[in-house]
Amino acid sequence: MSPDIHALTGAYALNAVSDDERAEFERHLADCEPCAQEVAELRETATRLALAAAEEPPAALRSRVLGQIGTVRQLPPETTVVPLRRKDRRPLARRLTTMAAAVLLVAAAALGVLVVRQNQQLDDTRAQAAEMSEILRAGDAQVVTLDGGDGGDGGDGGRITVAMSRSLDRMLLLGDDLPDPPSGHDFQVWSGHDGTMVSAGLLTPDHGEALLAVRGFGDADQIAVTVEPDGGSDQPTSAPVLSVDLPTA
Amino acid sequence: MGDRVRRVREARQESAGKVGAVGAELMQRVARGDEAAFEQLYDLLVGPVFGLVRRIVRDPAQSEEVVQEIMVELWRSAARYSPERGSAMTWAMTIAHRRAVDRVRSAQAAADRDDTVGRRDIGRPFDEVAEQVTTRLEQEQVRRCLRTLTELQRESVLLAYYGGRTYREVGDLLDTPLGTIKTRLRDGLIRLRDCLGVA
Repeated sequence: MSPDIHALTGAYALNAVSDDERAEFERHLADCEPCAQEVAELRETATRLALAAAEEPPAALRSRVLGQIGTVRQLPPETTVVPLRRKDRRPLARRLTTMAAAVLLVAAAALGVLVVRQNQQLDDTRAQAAEMSEILRAGDAQVVTLDGGDGGDGGDGGRITVAMSRSLDRMLLLGDDLPDPPSGHDFQVWSGHDGTMVSAGLLTPDHGEALLAVRGFGDADQIAVTVEPDGGSDQPTSAPVLSVDLPTA
Repeated sequence: MGDRVRRVREARQESAGKVGAVGAELMQRVARGDEAAFEQLYDLLVGPVFGLVRRIVRDPAQSEEVVQEIMVELWRSAARYSPERGSAMTWAMTIAHRRAVDRVRSAQAAADRDDTVGRRDIGRPFDEVAEQVTTRLEQEQVRRCLRTLTELQRESVLLAYYGGRTYREVGDLLDTPLGTIKTRLRDGLIRLRDCLGVA
């Protein structure tokens, strides 16, 4: 970030910028996490100045305002996340959009953790976020979840959400609440093709969270996770700790 | 991001119960159209909103009009408030400050281009603040912390916030280069933030 535009955080937090500058700075804020953090804190600080300036307003104002709100319709929330209900009668496409939004939230949380802990990998992380949004925008995006059962050693708990698009031939796996693999071992992800297992990469939990982007899974009908010796194996050497059948196109 | 959200959340929890804390639950009720909840919100917010608008707009009748617009706007857009981005009080004050400044900037554009008008005002916002900032604890603390700023930092911050000036106007008023003003506004707020223990 350029030091010049970063210096504008104070003026922006005090609303001491022109409309054009505000619009420009807000575009910058969207890509500058440290700036957004600083602006949030400086705004809270400015609020203290407002609190210190508090004055008793005329009493008549209260009844005028309360009278007026009865005639003013409220805006809907901006968020696209709709709480899922048990009996969901919305069309499938909309349910998927909602799921996709929920997955995005999980992804955002996981990505956030990665950003904080592994600043070096910021570019990778951004690429994965872009990957995720591409997958979710694909017309045939599907979301499935692998729930950690007691399928074998090391498989107690954890959950992996898979967002996939067959037309793009891409998927993204998001793990949360994952246990650490046993010492000297890794979690390895496999795509199953009519019984044949092909390695899709290693899944490395960081505080229970993990991300893996997979390109080119072809006609896979299954996703499985096994515990393998460090660095992974050519073929699974143990029973899956997690597995799920993939939906067909 | 996770850390930031957590920090903002912690900051909110710490401020719960202090002056200016607006509960998340109250905001949710207002967002759902609960008029009784809005009455509570009005009582929590109107003092600071009125004080801020009065400082910026000055004219009492216009100030009342603007405060009414702001309070109705808060009702209208309550569902757009997102706790991840900061406290409800700050959300409200950001809206209030913008509305007040919009009013004076449009009035200014229409009425005069005479930049000598503001010049005589330079000392006033802070003198007024200094007078007002004596009664409550909150005011005491803000006043004490304002004193830790350099004179240029303090004047810049107060002209910008209570005066509703852009940093360019502040630069003109204080005969100081723009780059310096930008830096003083930021440094001054940072010093104030640290002194007040925000976040």
